[in-house]
Amino acid sequence: MNAEILLNWLANTPDFAVPYALAALGLIVCERAGVLALGAEGLMLVGALVGIGAQLAFGEPAVSLLLAMLAAAAVSLLFAAMVIGLRVNQVIAGLALVFFCQGLTALVGTLAQWTNQATPGIGTLALWPLSLLPVVGRLFQQNAMVWLTLPIFAAVAGFLLRTDAGLRLRAVGENPQAADAAGIPVAAWRFGAVLAGSALVGLAGAYISVVSTKLWIAGMTGGRGWIAVGLVIFARWSPWKALAGALLFGCIEALIPQLAAAGVQLPQYFVLMTPYAVTLGVMVWVALARRGGDGEPGALGAPYVREERR
Amino acid sequence: MSTPAMASGSAVAAHPAPSVRAEPAEAGAGTSTGPGRTGEPKAARQPWARRRYALEIRQHMAWHRQAFILAAAIGVGLLISAVILVAAGVPAGELADEFIVQTFLDGQNLRAVLFQAAPMILVGLAGAMAFRARFWNLGLEGQMIWGAIGATAVSFFEIGPPSLRLPLMFAAALAGGLLWVLGPALLKLRLGVNEIISTLMLNYMAANFLLHLVYGSWKDPKDNFPYSPQFRAFERLPDLVAGVNSAILLAGLVALAAWWAVGLSRAGLYLRFVDANARMAQAAGVPVARIVYGAVLCSGAMAGLAGFAVAAGQEGRLTQAFYQGYGFSGILIAFLARNNPLAACLVALLVAALFVTGRSLQVFYQVPFSMVQLIQAVIVVCVASSDFFIRHRLRRVGGT
Repeated sequence: MNAEILLNWLANTPDFAVPYALAALGLIVCERAGVLALGAEGLMLVGALVGIGAQLAFGEPAVSLLLAMLAAAAVSLLFAAMVIGLRVNQVIAGLALVFFCQGLTALVGTLAQWTNQATPGIGTLALWPLSLLPVVGRLFQQNAMVWLTLPIFAAVAGFLLRTDAGLRLRAVGENPQAADAAGIPVAAWRFGAVLAGSALVGLAGAYISVVSTKLWIAGMTGGRGWIAVGLVIFARWSPWKALAGALLFGCIEALIPQLAAAGVQLPQYFVLMTPYAVTLGVMVWVALARRGGDGEPGALGAPYVREERR
Repeated sequence: MSTPAMASGSAVAAHPAPSVRAEPAEAGAGTSTGPGRTGEPKAARQPWARRRYALEIRQHMAWHRQAFILAAAIGVGLLISAVILVAAGVPAGELADEFIVQTFLDGQNLRAVLFQAAPMILVGLAGAMAFRARFWNLGLEGQMIWGAIGATAVSFFEIGPPSLRLPLMFAAALAGGLLWVLGPALLKLRLGVNEIISTLMLNYMAANFLLHLVYGSWKDPKDNFPYSPQFRAFERLPDLVAGVNSAILLAGLVALAAWWAVGLSRAGLYLRFVDANARMAQAAGVPVARIVYGAVLCSGAMAGLAGFAVAAGQEGRLTQAFYQGYGFSGILIAFLARNNPLAACLVALLVAALFVTGRSLQVFYQVPFSMVQLIQAVIVVCVASSDFFIRHRLRRVGGT
């Protein structure tokens, strides 16, 4: 009985961890280029809504996920134009983006009558030969997006940390003045980073709606975008640490239904608080363990204004 | 700088690069000639296609020009909102009627606006107070929830004699909001924990705790809906003349107090000093930490009072979703009012009118209430973007 619950819990963890992982990865791309991306919650909603809309229209998960990424990137153009073009305060712009997306997705979802429409979802993919193992084989039967998340992480982390282009992107976020002097177009790199990062965040949102819940409800991301923002701080802007953090959050979230299934009597709403409480706890822990703010991009949140040389 | 520069400035809005090459229409606006008049001698002196503009920081702009740009930004925002409304199914001809005539000229609706304005003013002031101390208090909703829970607790457990009940509820609401922001304030000032994340997480936790109460031990035994028992008559904010609720009076008094505190008191002067340059203020002997704590705790207390105004004024009980929409509205009001308490009252009144209109649009045209949030966000985007034209100007470089 207990082993069964443990196994269920572990098998469900990746499903809960993937949205956090992808969203945090997108945010890292964005923030490594020096743009404080608070809009994740909103972009995830856009991804989730467009994913379901495309599922209802075409029924092809791959197309839906791609369209969701494109849609999130398109909406983030507004944010990029505000913070990079017009040098709007990045906190204000990020908040405005979240509220804009919340309003827009709720409105479109209602008018298009996509709310609570069930969609087929995507099938599972067994990782042969590990899935043939006697007891733990079940852990290796996950949906395709879970497996795809790993190469996405490898590709993005490799790009950021091991290529010249990634170095340029990080230079833009670390010291835009120096990057500019070295001939790197700061605004263009930041634009690109925001768009690419937002596409990943949109994918995270689409995963929640298309793969996990298989339907759309207004505001369905429930603060996961904000948790991802906290997760990035927790991971000190490092992709692999973010993946580990996402697994931690996935574990916690996957535990909630397992406890209920095991018949543990807990006050329901206190249980629902745990992801937020854990985020808060993790933020405090990071602050206590901090050693001089390591890992934080030097120019995070600061608009680059060439005319204001220091 | 003169108007032509501003006109060309606004035409360059879409260009991200710090130094832009002028395009036909933009240069045309600068010399007040149409794009078609390129053959004219004035333009021939230097073809518009070759003119170059550099963006530079504007040190100061006359207040009436700033007001003009702000008004233009709000106008653009309203225009976009109108387009969205028409796209969502509201007849274009009805817009003015719904938003102005029905809302402000109808006695009942005007009372509804004033009713709605009270918590709006309070959350707006709460936002303004915290932002003045450079503290991103995004936890207005959580603090509102705790304010309402505090007020409801006094009613639920029948604390104090009837004559003192309302003041006690007031105090409990104030304390509830204040205590809920104390944690993030301590974490931020002691440990440097990002207050954006901490206050938001506390919102979600407060919302879940509210559900725990209204679905659990505080549920009204009379029927099966998730809300607390109805407050008794002496536990509700009374009506003043002509059916106008006293909540608006309370909000007005708090606004006056806030205006005095930030505008006239010594603490307000210190607060401006801290806002401008905290290190300098510290060096000059200003008690920076105390000032920031004070402003942030005031902010939480005001948000708590907003919860009180909704619970004891509008609803007359604790309900499960009363706080929704106030968090962003508070931030929007503070932002549009530039953290000025009196301006916040005015903006709050307009936002309240938007809420009331949104509800009637929901009834008459089946437009979802999320439209209200979308309109608010569009206006924030426009106003935030317009700041660029106040802080920058275009200057011709090279040639004549």
